[in-house]
Amino acid sequence: MDNSIVISTPPHVKSKRTTKGIMLDVIIALLPAAICGIIFFGVNAFVLEITAVLGAVATEFVYFFIEKGGFKNKCKNAAGVCKKWWKQFDFTSIVTGLILALIVPSGVKWYEILIGAVVAIALVKMVFGGTGRNLVNPAAMGRVFIFISFTSLTTYTAANFGAIESSTVTTGATYLSGALLKGNGDAMSLVDLLLGTGLAGCIGETCKIALIVGYIYLCVRKVIKWWQPLLYIVLSAFLSVCLAAIPEEGATASFDISLFPSFALSGGLMFGAIFMATDYVTSPKGVYGQIVYYVCLAILTSVLRYYTGIEVVSFVIVLMNLVVPLIDKYIIGKPFGYKREKKVKEVK
Amino acid sequence: MKAIKAKSFFAGIHVKDMKYLACDCPCETMPAPDTAYISLCQSLGKPAVACVEKGQKVKEGEIIAKADGAISSDVFASIAGEVVEVKEINCACGPEPFVVIKNDGSGEKAYLPPLTDITAESIKERIRACGIVGLGGAGFPTAVKVAPKTPVDTLILNGAECEPYLTCDHRLMVEKTAEIAKGARYIAKALGVSKIVIGIEANKPDAIAAFEAFDDIQPVILKKQYPMGSEKHLIYVTTGRKVGIGKLPADSGVVVQNVATAYAVYEAVELGKPLIDRVLTVSGGAVAQPKNLLVKVGTPVADIVAYCGGEASAPKKAILGGPMTGVAIASYDAYTHKTTSGILLLSDKEAAAEEPTACLNCGKCADVCPMHLMPMNTAFYSAAGDFETAAKLGNTMACIECGACEYICPAKRPLIQAIRKTKAAVRATAKKGGK
Repeated sequence: MDNSIVISTPPHVKSKRTTKGIMLDVIIALLPAAICGIIFFGVNAFVLEITAVLGAVATEFVYFFIEKGGFKNKCKNAAGVCKKWWKQFDFTSIVTGLILALIVPSGVKWYEILIGAVVAIALVKMVFGGTGRNLVNPAAMGRVFIFISFTSLTTYTAANFGAIESSTVTTGATYLSGALLKGNGDAMSLVDLLLGTGLAGCIGETCKIALIVGYIYLCVRKVIKWWQPLLYIVLSAFLSVCLAAIPEEGATASFDISLFPSFALSGGLMFGAIFMATDYVTSPKGVYGQIVYYVCLAILTSVLRYYTGIEVVSFVIVLMNLVVPLIDKYIIGKPFGYKREKKVKEVK
Repeated sequence: MKAIKAKSFFAGIHVKDMKYLACDCPCETMPAPDTAYISLCQSLGKPAVACVEKGQKVKEGEIIAKADGAISSDVFASIAGEVVEVKEINCACGPEPFVVIKNDGSGEKAYLPPLTDITAESIKERIRACGIVGLGGAGFPTAVKVAPKTPVDTLILNGAECEPYLTCDHRLMVEKTAEIAKGARYIAKALGVSKIVIGIEANKPDAIAAFEAFDDIQPVILKKQYPMGSEKHLIYVTTGRKVGIGKLPADSGVVVQNVATAYAVYEAVELGKPLIDRVLTVSGGAVAQPKNLLVKVGTPVADIVAYCGGEASAPKKAILGGPMTGVAIASYDAYTHKTTSGILLLSDKEAAAEEPTACLNCGKCADVCPMHLMPMNTAFYSAAGDFETAAKLGNTMACIECGACEYICPAKRPLIQAIRKTKAAVRATAKKGGK
């Protein structure tokens, strides 16, 4: 026996799963959506994706470099610092950058998304302490930042196979905010909604098939729990159907469940539910807390969609992320065998 | 009786069981060691008090230390010879008093006479007199367990052996089926219960089949799930009863005994043999020949490793007990206890020794926690030194320390360490408040 023996508290065997591995899984799950985005929106989408990812990773690196230990010292030992950074690099910033690129329309300029990525990583994630410490989802916050800073986010390019140049530019009107919410537009065909053809939207959000593939992959790899996005999407779409049944002045509206798939498949709901709301860091830890979180998300999404008519999913996620610490503090499950003890108390 | 299938409990983990290494190796009796280092901390309670002196001759089975307090147990000489020393030796869990006996090779035995007048009282007395403790790992004196304060209607034999690598209970169940059944009947008689259930995990079909031969014992097939062998979860899946937090199984009308304990009771009653040896598994990727051995209490680990052909490769970790709850040892200068169920030498590939990374709040630890606790809260607040909040938000005091949370943690956080620290701090505060 030599000195290399390790002593620690049990357990002495552990699962092979690591943070890095989970993030790699998320990246793999995002790839179909990213590729579909490039097919639909062309080179511009590719440029945006690359810019966002590189921007995010570079920001994290620069932050790591200047954060602690003296800038001058680190400059002297640059190679060592790079090695150290690579050792602790867990792919989270790649995920953030990729998600950010997928939730903006293809009309966004490259410098706009770069600023968004820098803000997302530096101000939302690293300042709070890096991986696992951020309060809100960095990608959602980055999108919100671009949205309130530039006008390009209000313009959506319609996705189409091949015909990128001739694609129509619609202003301020995703399919969702235009006709659907008031329950009086002609519904798009389900196939178009699923494939995303002819649908105005963000790079990664239009092709629902790609998102479903990613969702199934994440579920199979047990990165997310299968019921989480489903609860959010189904409940939100159902509430939207209910809200659409509220008649406007002078118009008639009825409860029409056939609108359900349109609500579920339109806008950024699906992408947000699968990839952003399920972010570990900014969602509750316990199962009961998670149920509350997703129900609140669904209610907020449907109500805000109805009253504002803009794409609200990332706003709602940012909003609910801020409530998560409270949920975690007050909603804690009871331990196994707790009920029995309670009964005994009542008898006394 | 025909075996029935049990339901599963919510949560838990699926660990690669690695039992193939040793599950087909029949129990071998290891020759008595030249020197036995017998710890007097052989049960959950206070250490026993030595009643032999340096230079005294003892026979195998002679009492060498008397129990001190209710949950302490007597300790017996596991080999015949001369007491060389009575001293404290530093163990993995701190200094423990030891009696060191040098083997004189005579092999003289001083067992009790076999029990002829079998009544509930005489069995209880025999269990106490033979120093039998729970052989599952905790070392709770069996004499206390068979004298519950509340009425009991079921005896559950724990043959789950949910820890990976360990196969000693499995081998015992296959090879000593009739003896375990007899021991179980004695325990049932002492308790005054007629219903005996044996829970065995589904990965031991030969053991399940063996126990189907008895009319009065109900075998239950347990789902392969860790920690199935935890008392509370075994009771829940076999009887549907939940044991409250801080309560004993007897409060739910159940007593759980390990199969190895039942075998020890059989030996105590029919042969008059005190608890001086036990079957343990020597396994792991770094052992040359994995084996199941009948080993005298107090055998040095170095002797056992040598008997199993030594190291196959340099071990990354050496463990007394199972890989999920066992104690890591720094060198082979350690000695088996009554509760040592295995000696594992884990190779580089098997042993976990990664550096922890930042907590992701993924909640996987809470998902797998069989007690439905929040280990991440305990870790978070205890790292900040706020043990009160840690215990409150993590429900830490109900933790059974099964290690499932730390096993699953993708960030490899030392959760069990945080939990133990919190528990100790809360207990210390409670003690202070009490004074």
